Amino acid sequence: MEQPLTHDGTDDGTDGTDSTLATAELTLQYPDGESPAVEEVSLAVDAGQLTALVGPNGSGKSTLLKGLSAQLSPETGRAILDGRALASYDDTTLARRLGILHQEPDGPDALTVAELVSHGRYPYRGFLDQLSDADRAAVERALSLTGTAALRDRALADLSGGQRRLAWLAMVLAQDTDVLLLDEPTTFLDLHHQLTVMQVVRELRDTDGVAIVAVLHDIEQAARYADEMVVLSAGCVVARGPPAEVVTPELLARVFGVEATVDTDAQGVRVRPLRPLAQHSGERR
Amino acid sequence: MTGRYSWLTRELGVVVFGSSLVVLVSATLQLSFGAYPLSPVEAWQTLLDPAVVLNRAAWEAFILGGPLPEYETGTLVTWTIRFPRVLVGVFVGMNLAVSGAILQAVTRNELASPFVLGVSSGAGLAVLLTVVVFTGLLPYLPLFAAVGGGLAFLLVYSIAWQGGTSPVRLVLAGVIVSSVFGSVQTGLFLLLEDVGVIQSVVAWTTGSLVGADWAQVRMMLPWTVLAVGAALLGSRQLNVLTLGERTASSLGMSVERVRFGLSGVAVLAAAASVAAAGIVGFVGLVVPHIVRRLVGTDHKRLLVGCAFAGPALMTAADAGARLALSPAQIPVGIVTGLVGGPYFLYLMRKHGDFGGF
Repeated sequence: MEQPLTHDGTDDGTDGTDSTLATAELTLQYPDGESPAVEEVSLAVDAGQLTALVGPNGSGKSTLLKGLSAQLSPETGRAILDGRALASYDDTTLARRLGILHQEPDGPDALTVAELVSHGRYPYRGFLDQLSDADRAAVERALSLTGTAALRDRALADLSGGQRRLAWLAMVLAQDTDVLLLDEPTTFLDLHHQLTVMQVVRELRDTDGVAIVAVLHDIEQAARYADEMVVLSAGCVVARGPPAEVVTPELLARVFGVEATVDTDAQGVRVRPLRPLAQHSGERR
Repeated sequence: MTGRYSWLTRELGVVVFGSSLVVLVSATLQLSFGAYPLSPVEAWQTLLDPAVVLNRAAWEAFILGGPLPEYETGTLVTWTIRFPRVLVGVFVGMNLAVSGAILQAVTRNELASPFVLGVSSGAGLAVLLTVVVFTGLLPYLPLFAAVGGGLAFLLVYSIAWQGGTSPVRLVLAGVIVSSVFGSVQTGLFLLLEDVGVIQSVVAWTTGSLVGADWAQVRMMLPWTVLAVGAALLGSRQLNVLTLGERTASSLGMSVERVRFGLSGVAVLAAAASVAAAGIVGFVGLVVPHIVRRLVGTDHKRLLVGCAFAGPALMTAADAGARLALSPAQIPVGIVTGLVGGPYFLYLMRKHGDFGGF
C-alpha cells in the first residue's frame, strides 16, 4: 500500500546517526515561574520508537512536551529536531515535521470531523490554496487510520468523548509529521477508545516509522506500548529504560508514593497498586 | 468536500437570497415613502431611469462629488437623498456584520461585537471631544470618530499584551478601556448646554443614517471593499483560530500576527461604519449569530452570509427608523437595539447552551 504520510527519513539531508528528536540537559521555566519546571533533562527518540513520559501530577511531563514542541524555549540546554535546534525552525516547517495532540483540545461545536481533519493540512497550504489531491489523500488516510471515516460529516458536539479524541488525533495525523507528541491521549476515555488510540499510535510507529513521545498516566499502558519509559519526578528524570527494567515496586513507592506489586508475564508488566504511602516527593513544591 | 465551490451550500444560498429580498423590499419602501411620495413602480422607474443610469456626468457627481446635471424633483429626491441612504445602510450593515464575525472568532466568544475591543468608546469619546472642545473641527467629525475608535483599539491591545495576548485578556482590556472612556464621555456630556447639539451627539452615539448621502457612500466604498475582501482572504485563518491558539500554533500559524491583523481588519470595518453612521449597536452582534446558526461555523460561508444579512437587517431597521414615526425620524441604532434585544432573549430561552462557541 502506498503511504503518502511517511517520510523515509533520508530525504532531508541528515544522515540519521542522530536521533530524530532529542534534548540535551534541557531546563525549562515558565516566564512567571520561580523555579524551573523541568531541569536538565536529556532524552533521545528515534524514528519508529515510542517513548512514554510518566510521573506523578506536576512532575513536568506536559512542560517537557512544550519544550519538545518549541512552545517553551530552553532556559538552558538544547532541544534538537533532526540535528537542528528546534528554535531555528520556522513555524510552518516545524508544523510539517512535528505534530502535537494537546490535552483536551476544544473546537467549535458545529465543526464536522472532515472539516477538522482537513485543518491538519494547514501547514501545507499556501494563503489561497485549495485542498490539493495530496491534501485529500492525507486527510482520507488519517480518517481511515483512526477509524473516523464513518463520522466525517458528524459535528464535534454530537460525538462521544472517545470519538472526539480520535477525530483530533486524525487532524494531527493529517499533518503528516515524522514526530508526534501526545499529551495524555488516553485520559478520560473508556477502555475501548483507550485501546483504539494506542493501537493507532502503535501502527504509526511500526508502519510509518514515526518517532513518538507520549505522556501517559496509566503505567501499565505505558509499559505495554512504549519502547522506552522516562520517569519524571519534580522536573528531573529519575529513571529511564525498557519498561520491564524501569517499573519496579521500589520506583512506584519512591516516585508515585504507592505500595504496589509488579509482575511480568507474557502480556507485559502488571502493576497492582495496593495503597498510598504517607510520604512521597514526586510533586514539585 | 471536493471542488472549488463546494463551500456554497443550500443554506448559504437561502441566506443570500432571503437577505437580498429584504434589502430590495426595504429599498422600495425607502425610495417610495417620504415628504415627496412616489409609488413603488415610479420609484423603481426613477432608479432605473436611463437618463441618470447611463449619464456619465451624473455618476461623476455621485462618485467624485462634482456638480449634478439638471433633473426633475422626483429624480433628485430618489438619486441624491433616498438611494444613497439605502447604499450607506448596505455598507454599514455589511461592515458591522463582517467585523462582528471576525471578532467573535478572534476572541473565541460568540458574544463579542465589533465594539468589544473599544472601538465604540474611542469613537464616542472622539465625537464628544470634537463637539465640546475642538468645535472648529466639526466638519471632520466622522474622521475623528474613526481615528478615536482605532486608537482605542491599539490601547486595548497594548493593555492586553504581556509577551502575547489571549482572547480573555483582550476582552477584559476592552471592558476596562470602554468603562474609562465611557466615564469621560459622560462627564463631557454635562458640559453641553445646547439641546440641538446634545441631540446630534445622542444620534451619533446611538447610530443614525439621517442625512447620509453620496459623500458617505464615497467615504465607505473603498474601506468596505478592502475590509470585506481581506476578511474573506483570512477566512481559513479564522477557521483555524477557532480551534484554539494552542492548536493553531502547533499547526504552524503565527497566532499573534494573524490575530492582530484580523482584529485590525475588523476595527477598520467598524471604524468606517462609525464614521458614516455613528455607533449602531447589535447589528455586528446579532447578524453573525443568526448566520452561524444557518450556515455553520465555516468562516467563508459565515462571512459571505454576513455580507448579505448585515445589509438586510440594517436597511430594514433604517426603513423602520425613518418611516415608523414619520415625519419624525428615530436613530436607526434604537431600532436595531429594539430588534436585537428580544432576539437574544429568544435565544436565551430556547437554547441552554447559548454563548458557547
